[in-house]
Amino acid sequence: MNKFLEYVPGDSLLHRMNPTAKLLAAMVFAIMCFCTSNLVILVAALVIGLVLARSCGMMRQTAGLMKAVAVFSIILAILLVFTTPAGAVLVPLPWGYIGTGSLIAAVTMIIRLEAAAIPLFLVFYVTKMTDMANAAVKNLHVPYKYAFTFMSTVHFIPVFMNDMKAIMEAQTSRGVRFDEGGLANKVRLMVPLCVPLLVSSVRKTNSAAIAAEVRGFNLRTRACGYKEYPFAGADIATLVASVALLVVAIAL
Amino acid sequence: MIEFRNVHASYNASVPVLKGVDFTIEDGAFVAFVGTNGAGKSTTMRLIDGLIKPDEGEVLIDGVPTTELRTSELAKRVGFLFQNPDSQICNNTVRDELMFGFKALHEEGPEAEERVAGIIELFGFDPDADPFLLNRGTRQLLALASIVVMAPQVLVLDEPTTGLDFRECEKVMDIVRTLHERGTTVVMVCHDMEIVGDFAEQVIVMNDGRVVDQGPTFEVLRRRETLERASLVPPQMVDLSLTLAAADARLAQAPVGRANTLDEMEAAVRAEAGKGAGVAEGAPVVELAAAPTAASQSRARVIPFPTARDDAAKQAAEQGGR
Amino acid sequence: MIKIENLTFRYRESEEPALHDINLTIPDGTFVGVTGAAGSGKSTLTYALNGIIPHCYPGDFYGSVTVEGKDTCEVNLTDLSCVVGSVCQDIDSQMVASIVEDEVLYGLENFGVPHDEIPARVDQALADMGIADLRDRMIASLSGGQKQKVAIAAILAMNPKVLVLDEPTAELDPASSLSVFRLLERYARQHGTTVVVVEQKIALMAQFADMLVIMEHGGIRYAAAPAEVLAHSDDLLRIGVNCPRVTTLVNRLRADGVYAGPACRNVEEARDAVLEVLA
Repeated sequence: MNKFLEYVPGDSLLHRMNPTAKLLAAMVFAIMCFCTSNLVILVAALVIGLVLARSCGMMRQTAGLMKAVAVFSIILAILLVFTTPAGAVLVPLPWGYIGTGSLIAAVTMIIRLEAAAIPLFLVFYVTKMTDMANAAVKNLHVPYKYAFTFMSTVHFIPVFMNDMKAIMEAQTSRGVRFDEGGLANKVRLMVPLCVPLLVSSVRKTNSAAIAAEVRGFNLRTRACGYKEYPFAGADIATLVASVALLVVAIAL
Repeated sequence: MIEFRNVHASYNASVPVLKGVDFTIEDGAFVAFVGTNGAGKSTTMRLIDGLIKPDEGEVLIDGVPTTELRTSELAKRVGFLFQNPDSQICNNTVRDELMFGFKALHEEGPEAEERVAGIIELFGFDPDADPFLLNRGTRQLLALASIVVMAPQVLVLDEPTTGLDFRECEKVMDIVRTLHERGTTVVMVCHDMEIVGDFAEQVIVMNDGRVVDQGPTFEVLRRRETLERASLVPPQMVDLSLTLAAADARLAQAPVGRANTLDEMEAAVRAEAGKGAGVAEGAPVVELAAAPTAASQSRARVIPFPTARDDAAKQAAEQGGR
Repeated sequence: MIKIENLTFRYRESEEPALHDINLTIPDGTFVGVTGAAGSGKSTLTYALNGIIPHCYPGDFYGSVTVEGKDTCEVNLTDLSCVVGSVCQDIDSQMVASIVEDEVLYGLENFGVPHDEIPARVDQALADMGIADLRDRMIASLSGGQKQKVAIAAILAMNPKVLVLDEPTAELDPASSLSVFRLLERYARQHGTTVVVVEQKIALMAQFADMLVIMEHGGIRYAAAPAEVLAHSDDLLRIGVNCPRVTTLVNRLRADGVYAGPACRNVEEARDAVLEVLA
């Protein structure tokens, strides 16, 4: 039922952690993955990601995410195999060769992307969007306007998904064959429906702006936020650990 | 014919929406589903249209389970008017919008053109108007027209009058009634009990994913306790009639205590008043002849366009001719 | 108090004024029901009260609208919205948060309600709308009716002096619509909140409102107590407003002198009228 990147309620340690700490740690973690080509560290990072996912009961969502990342990274990996001649020659090509080094680079690429993506996406699954924006305003002094813009953008995704679903249902029941054929067929049929979706989005964003304004959007300051987001021991520990990992990764 | 046999359904396996629903809707019936938000009415409509399939039990359309048909195939038999016309309208002109269904089914041709022209004339549309610039009521009419033009045997309406004003509402419901008179089966979800009382022939009451009562419209609407259990109140004239009957046992036996519609109630009250006051002294007793309301006048309109039954008859005639 | 004087408003993109020559005075704590055919200017009238015109939609604005002593043209929208709480027609787009509780918090936070008052206000607003159990739900997972209640709760929490609602019960079933109207009536009576509701459900408004405003082609056709307005059921029907059936029934009896009492607003009054006729 839960949609892509939509908050899943829960009570795990990850759910309870400070949103800013989670987001920062996940970002540092992702940077770390791109700073190293050490396969051992990357595999360890991947394992850490999976353990985290397990700890907050998001294995199903993570599996879905990993599949999506896999498709993307395999395409990149294939490109890499053909364009990075390195190591012992395995298959000669007209413009170079595929070597052991190319294969290692490709595998590293796949693991790296997977390892970097999991914690970042987990943050979205275990953190309410409002909390993330409010915490960014409170802890990081991000101007509220930017935080709100980001929040509304993400908040509107399910609204538009619902609209799209309603439109597709309506068209299916008029005999449009969304329910057969592959993805290509669906996309071809969906293109003409983008116009009504756009029209309704423009209308919606306009009235959303008005609705926010009449509820005091312009008065909002950092002090307005009702919820406080203090850093607890676990948050600091997580940040320290992620920075330590980064240092180790760069050092090796 | 639409049959639900012990249907269980859910959007999300952990939250059941329908918990064993049974009913049969005969061809040519006009059935209204009533109940609170979340009682399972819209889910039932989606099941009829095949947009969702039952978890358990069977939904049969003319004896065929919906699980064996694609939704787009079902579309030929079942027309579905959604609550929000904006999710349905997707073309740049009224004419294209009306042709859209034929295109989707690859049935464009002179016959389709002819039907579209008929519908445009009937509804009084400007064929070149941009649907997105029409007002809400006209868009709802266009959405209805684009379904009616396909002449489905079954018309499913999910709260067809929400957001419409009185006149727009009458216009939509007039057309629905005419279709029904021409043989189309009409199944509708409606919160407005006045509309249910005015138009439906049968009522199915749903509560918490189950059917709690069903039967001819006014038989059901007069069972106040059953309706109350589903958090519903009868339409005003039925309510008044039941209230009067409860207030005065004598009236329970009189026509006043049995009146279901405005005209019936008016005539009954006048007749009863005449009795009480004595004919010599009071106003003349008025028979069942109140001034026709706007609604009853417009009902008399004849609307010439093809429906499922006409099509079937035509086909039969063609086959017979061969 | 709300005072509208000689208000005429034309949207920039249209030729005809959406509102013309509106004069209306609404005392504090009045429950006002506004209705009329589609395009009669009902929504624009609500925009005039909450300042969306002239602040958000450009156009020609003549006359004046004063809400609680503030001229809507002279104060900015934010200052005005401290006084006027609005629930608009498009519920989905007015939601700012993804969780019900955060949605209710939003206005309270912005208007600087002291933080120790906030929990009680949120609890109260959710309880009033009967949605305390939805507190931690994702808004995207709610039904249309539930969302409508959340939107109203988010405004009620701010305790505005004036509440303006554009079709707040459009997607609600009869029982929920009734409970919303009861609640609005209670706010008007207990807190002295002025409530302005635009609705098609005239039976509910006839029963609860202190004043019915009937609009026709951008002007006000009637603005008076329900019994007074409802006495004109034939004229109302002509301009596309259908009276409650019980009202029509009693008016027919009044027309030829069978009944001499006032126009009735609900089934109970109709029962008494009929019993009187039959006595």
